[in-house]
Amino acid sequence: MDIVGRVNSIVTLAGLPRFLQIGVYSLVDAGVGLAVLLARIANATSYLSDDPQTCINCHVMTDAYASWQRGSHGRVAVCIDCHVPHSSIVAKYAYKARDGLKHSYVFTTRSEPQVLNLSTPAMPVVQANCVRCHSHQVMRVASAGPQRQCWDCHQNIHGNVRSLSASPIELRPGLPDAGLEWMKKGDEG
Amino acid sequence: MTAESSQGRQAAQDPRRGSPVPLWAGVMIAGLAAMTVVLLGLLAVSIMERRWETQRPALVVQPLAEWEPNSAAWGQNYPVEYESYLRTRVTDTKTKYGGSYPRDYLEADPYQVILFAGYGFTAEYRQARGHYYAIEDVTKTKRLKTPFNAATCWTCKSTDVPRLMSQMGIKEFYAANFHDLAKEITHPIGCQDCHDPQTLRLRITRPALKEAFAALGRDINAATHQEMRSLVCAQCHVEYYFRTDEKAGLKNYLIFPWGKGTTLEEILAYYDGQNFSDYVHTVSGTRIIKAQHPDYELYLTGIHAFRNVSCADCHMPYHTEGGVKYTDHHVQSPLLNVANSCAVCHRWGEDEIRTRVESIQTKVEKAKLAAEDALVHGHFDVAAAGQAGASAEELGNARQLLRRAQFRWDFIAANNGMGFHSPQESMRLLGEAANLAQQARIDAARVLAKRGITAPPQYPDISTRQKAWEVAQAFAGGQGIGLLP
Repeated sequence: MDIVGRVNSIVTLAGLPRFLQIGVYSLVDAGVGLAVLLARIANATSYLSDDPQTCINCHVMTDAYASWQRGSHGRVAVCIDCHVPHSSIVAKYAYKARDGLKHSYVFTTRSEPQVLNLSTPAMPVVQANCVRCHSHQVMRVASAGPQRQCWDCHQNIHGNVRSLSASPIELRPGLPDAGLEWMKKGDEG
Repeated sequence: MTAESSQGRQAAQDPRRGSPVPLWAGVMIAGLAAMTVVLLGLLAVSIMERRWETQRPALVVQPLAEWEPNSAAWGQNYPVEYESYLRTRVTDTKTKYGGSYPRDYLEADPYQVILFAGYGFTAEYRQARGHYYAIEDVTKTKRLKTPFNAATCWTCKSTDVPRLMSQMGIKEFYAANFHDLAKEITHPIGCQDCHDPQTLRLRITRPALKEAFAALGRDINAATHQEMRSLVCAQCHVEYYFRTDEKAGLKNYLIFPWGKGTTLEEILAYYDGQNFSDYVHTVSGTRIIKAQHPDYELYLTGIHAFRNVSCADCHMPYHTEGGVKYTDHHVQSPLLNVANSCAVCHRWGEDEIRTRVESIQTKVEKAKLAAEDALVHGHFDVAAAGQAGASAEELGNARQLLRRAQFRWDFIAANNGMGFHSPQESMRLLGEAANLAQQARIDAARVLAKRGITAPPQYPDISTRQKAWEVAQAFAGGQGIGLLP
């Protein structure tokens, strides 16, 4: 049997009782609707952008955001300038996808550690990005001896005290809007 | 033949329309679609929940009475904190020197049986279990006396105490009989000991700390929130004594000996000024001060206090669960939670941190054992001099030296954390303790030499708890054992 015919019959649900056809189409429609809603409340499109607010779509990075925002890098760089590779656009989005999936899995299962450290695959990325901007400062250091990471010495880029809870509540930004604010208006009246 | 099935046959003959989907596949497709919808729905709900958990207001389900002693009632309003507090029920955690299980100090270190000869600690001395067991443990210890024991011993054991103090009066509470209050005291250390029931702000509920601050000329109400995160602990984890002064109408009144300051020298000077001692050592006749658990005083001399790190920062670190930040109320050794306590500032591997802490503690332990060795022999040397006929006047200097030495040793030995609250101060005091005890031994040796005895005394075997106990008992009975060569 040809493939076009099979796909066609599955899509049209040919030969099935009418109630099953209606049921399946309703469920698929509900699924599509939920997927759209999900994409909206998860700010899904923001993950394609460079906006640092993207990184606090969930709570885990709240402290990292607060310490970045008030640090020296907060004036010149955003999250992805350091934490995502910039060698090519393919590398950038492949890395975002891989890291993002890992993060969403960890946060959904509530298995995030209280104190975050750079993961092993993240180290060369961040190191390359330090050098990308600071190359004129580190040229001689790099040629001086064995490979060292910038943060072996500069440990306080995100502050001296580090944990998911480190920043005081007043400095912790809220989550970005998820487009559902219109639902709350009814309560206020 | 129905119209539907003839349609199906027609469809089979037309390759563009494809073959009919069998019923079982249709059901499976419907099932898969339903499952996908359910999973997407669950994910949407999870995301919305996680979004909203920070905005959820603290919900006071049940308003709390001013002296609400029952932590479970608080727990209805503050479930996350209460659940973590309940984990102080754990009794099987072990670190190298601490943890929550009732380690038997006398079994591990029989020398202490001799050092406490003449005092309750010679009979039983265990590491305390978690806050949850405070009442059970204080009523079961062999150190508890009958028929009368000072009610002051209840002070740090129960959330019922502030209520009783407000009803009875502070002086009257201390002066009462421990056993008379047993019916009133049923709730172990809990929420109300440190928190205001209306605002949840930290507050001091025990008068002894307020009075000690006043004696230091400081105002405890001026303490910052960060200071309060240590001071609520300092209501109990400090050095103290019971003062009985009939002229002032005081009986077993709880006092922190901070009138001159909180360092070892200042506390000892205060005690000397009061001419205070907890017991007379039955071996050497020395008037000994038993240190309690001056955790707060020792901590004050350390680097963490200097850096304004509070007790709670290490023993009750902040925890973030989703969007909710709370304080972990499972008060415990930070070594049981290195990742969330130490590693927040010391960004090394967990094993590296633990090794570092234990290496510091091991050094303190060695210094502690060296001081104990000198002290135990000091007590026997003075006893030997006494057996040789030396007068109290001749032995006065040696006994004074032993008193100063043993308080220094005990200040560290009785501390939780094997000196880690302030490693340098611990080593200094243990070094001084060993030195003072050896000076006492020289003094006793001179007294013996004056009587022609130059050979060393015959030290009894105290290598096990039982043997040490028998020696201590012999001296407690007044007979002692012959120590002269």
